[in-house]
Amino acid sequence: MVQVEEPQDYVDVLQSHRGGFSFENCKRNAYLAAQAGIKPPTAMKSGTTICGIVVKDAVILAADTRATNGPMVADKNCEKLHYIAKNIYCAGAGTAADLQHTTEMMESQIELLRMATGTQPRVCTVVKRLSSMLFKYQGYIGCALVLGGFDVTGPHLYQIYPHGSTDKLPFTTMGSGSLAAMAIMEAEYNENMSIEEGKKLVAKAIRSGIFNDLGSGGNVDVCVITKDAGGNILRNYEKPNERKFRAQHKAFPKGTTPVIKETIMKLVSVETDVVMRD
Amino acid sequence: MQAPVEHRWSPYADNGGTCLGVAGEDFVVVAADTRLSQGYSIHTRDCSKVTQLTDKCVIVSCGMKADAITLHKHLKARLVMYEHQHRKQASVTAIAQMLATTLYYKRFFPYYTFNVLCGIDDEGKGAVYHYDAIGSFERVPYTTSGSGSSLVMSVLDAQIAKGNQTVDTPPLDKRGIVELAKDVLSSVGERDIHTGDYAEIFLIDASGVTPTRFDLKLD
Amino acid sequence: MDFLAPRSAQEQMVRHVEEGCPYRADDVMAPEQAVSTGTTIMAVEFDGGVVMGADSRTSTGQYVANRASRKISKVHDKIFVCRCGSAADTQALTGFVVNYLGQHAVELGKQPTVNTAANLFKMIAYNNKDNLLAGLIVAGYDDKRGGQVYSIPLGGSRIRVPWACDGSGSGYIKGFIDSHYRPGMSKAECLEFVQKALCFAMSRDGSSGGVVRTLVITKDKVEESMIEGNKLPFGP
Repeated sequence: MVQVEEPQDYVDVLQSHRGGFSFENCKRNAYLAAQAGIKPPTAMKSGTTICGIVVKDAVILAADTRATNGPMVADKNCEKLHYIAKNIYCAGAGTAADLQHTTEMMESQIELLRMATGTQPRVCTVVKRLSSMLFKYQGYIGCALVLGGFDVTGPHLYQIYPHGSTDKLPFTTMGSGSLAAMAIMEAEYNENMSIEEGKKLVAKAIRSGIFNDLGSGGNVDVCVITKDAGGNILRNYEKPNERKFRAQHKAFPKGTTPVIKETIMKLVSVETDVVMRD
Repeated sequence: MQAPVEHRWSPYADNGGTCLGVAGEDFVVVAADTRLSQGYSIHTRDCSKVTQLTDKCVIVSCGMKADAITLHKHLKARLVMYEHQHRKQASVTAIAQMLATTLYYKRFFPYYTFNVLCGIDDEGKGAVYHYDAIGSFERVPYTTSGSGSSLVMSVLDAQIAKGNQTVDTPPLDKRGIVELAKDVLSSVGERDIHTGDYAEIFLIDASGVTPTRFDLKLD
Repeated sequence: MDFLAPRSAQEQMVRHVEEGCPYRADDVMAPEQAVSTGTTIMAVEFDGGVVMGADSRTSTGQYVANRASRKISKVHDKIFVCRCGSAADTQALTGFVVNYLGQHAVELGKQPTVNTAANLFKMIAYNNKDNLLAGLIVAGYDDKRGGQVYSIPLGGSRIRVPWACDGSGSGYIKGFIDSHYRPGMSKAECLEFVQKALCFAMSRDGSSGGVVRTLVITKDKVEESMIEGNKLPFGP
């Protein structure tokens, strides 16, 4: 059971309001789970296949576009490639809310750093900040990331796990479809590929995840990060899953839904004694 | 080393999929997808859920494929015996009752199958029966079962039963219902991860059972 | 094991995770499955330095997350650490010690001792023993005591030893090491000894594999070498 501490004095209360996560409802949730068997609502996770490779002059990331909520598809065309800086992008698998907020937070921290130092941000900075934060929360923030970027020290690709461990690799895949995608990568990757070959390889790996893993689906998004041009997201680079059949339905005639009662309320009142200032 | 995790073996598996049956004036339309999945993997993309029991009767089962195979095999054997004994094929109503008792016989270790039995009854009218796992059944004008059933049912309620609609529109004909079944399965294939690949549509009327097949999404 | 008692007092977690899905337990309130270095790590002292060796497999459950990982991390110029246990815990721990030791070296004005580095690791590991899963072997060379190997297993104890091995594959080779180790081996003999032991461990332990990475640290230099997993010179 969750151990929840009551704030004892003003210091504890101040500490609890310091920002970051609010744990106010923990005691209530623990009580509900124990007494009434009420479980907290499930969050939306992206089943996902994401991958990344380092080729001769670029880092290429790719992702599928399906977000699932249990066995249902919540979003058929969501965006899993997140912008961190002009030269640093990341692909995310795991809990959708955690990914969105974590990457947005990184984006703003790195922008502030860029303004403060006047230099292009480095991939290792982002990696360090992400892994420290994820380690602090001991895996409860469900973010599994493939982070890639091209900075002054060259192209870099990292994979970062929810518990905060990081690996620096020439090619990597993550998510529920990672095994399907890794099969393609292991068979066909070599470090002397061109950017075009690289794009084809990552698209093939993601397609493998899309068709063989039920948690992944939709279209393929690709992001190419080069030295001079920074990052460029190719949204829906491939669309292998167009809907095949759609019937022509006659529109419902007007009056189909019975109107039982009609109430009109005036919500806007105009006041003539207010003067607008520039 | 991690915190203790309890492993429990379950004799059941959920192989996913969606099926539906709609009864018309003198015909029945049965539709089902052909994907067999487990967890987040696909076993096969081309596995029929439907078995034809007699010239006029078809059964479709969602849930656990192993139990469905055994159940269908059992039913077919019983029907052969029936034909030998009674010198005619069993009617849909008779098969419906037999299926209910077969399922209830395994009340304490059920067949993990959610069946829809469809056919033409002795009066020539379309019949659709909906079953739960242990044999409770009811004759209904249309029904659906499987992992995507919740997505399908509301569409059928609106288009066929036309519940809560004040304006009267004519009921759908044979072609209309087949188009509706295709559209419904396509839509479920978009939103349910366990439904997809290919779909089989069976039209059962006085002239017999006519199967057709069409493509769903493969992702 | 006794020092694991606090951990096993946690409640039984009933959790069904589907096969082949690293990140799919749909209860988002539970933490994700951790990445652990399955591992075989080893270090041996000789007169004038140390030889360190490790495999390169990092696994999440049954999936190999990284088949070419570096488990020997640099702490200072002549001080390195072999890491096993939870990848996140050991990486974070190493990060802290690199920071503290770096500051200490600046203040000291000369190379820090291996003893100090090992002590820093021990302090953090021992004081956070409830929350960490880290087995470490700290080894290196300093002028004060020459080559040294310090073993810091799970509970956070620290002991100086002539040789140490740790990780899931270490149990398979302890007998081999006991029978083949002699004090006073030369650098080349130690290197071959470490390579041999790691090859045997990798061939028997499912959680160890990939390549054999070895590091030889002496007064003058640090030499790194690697043997690919399909070209192992020794085996059963």
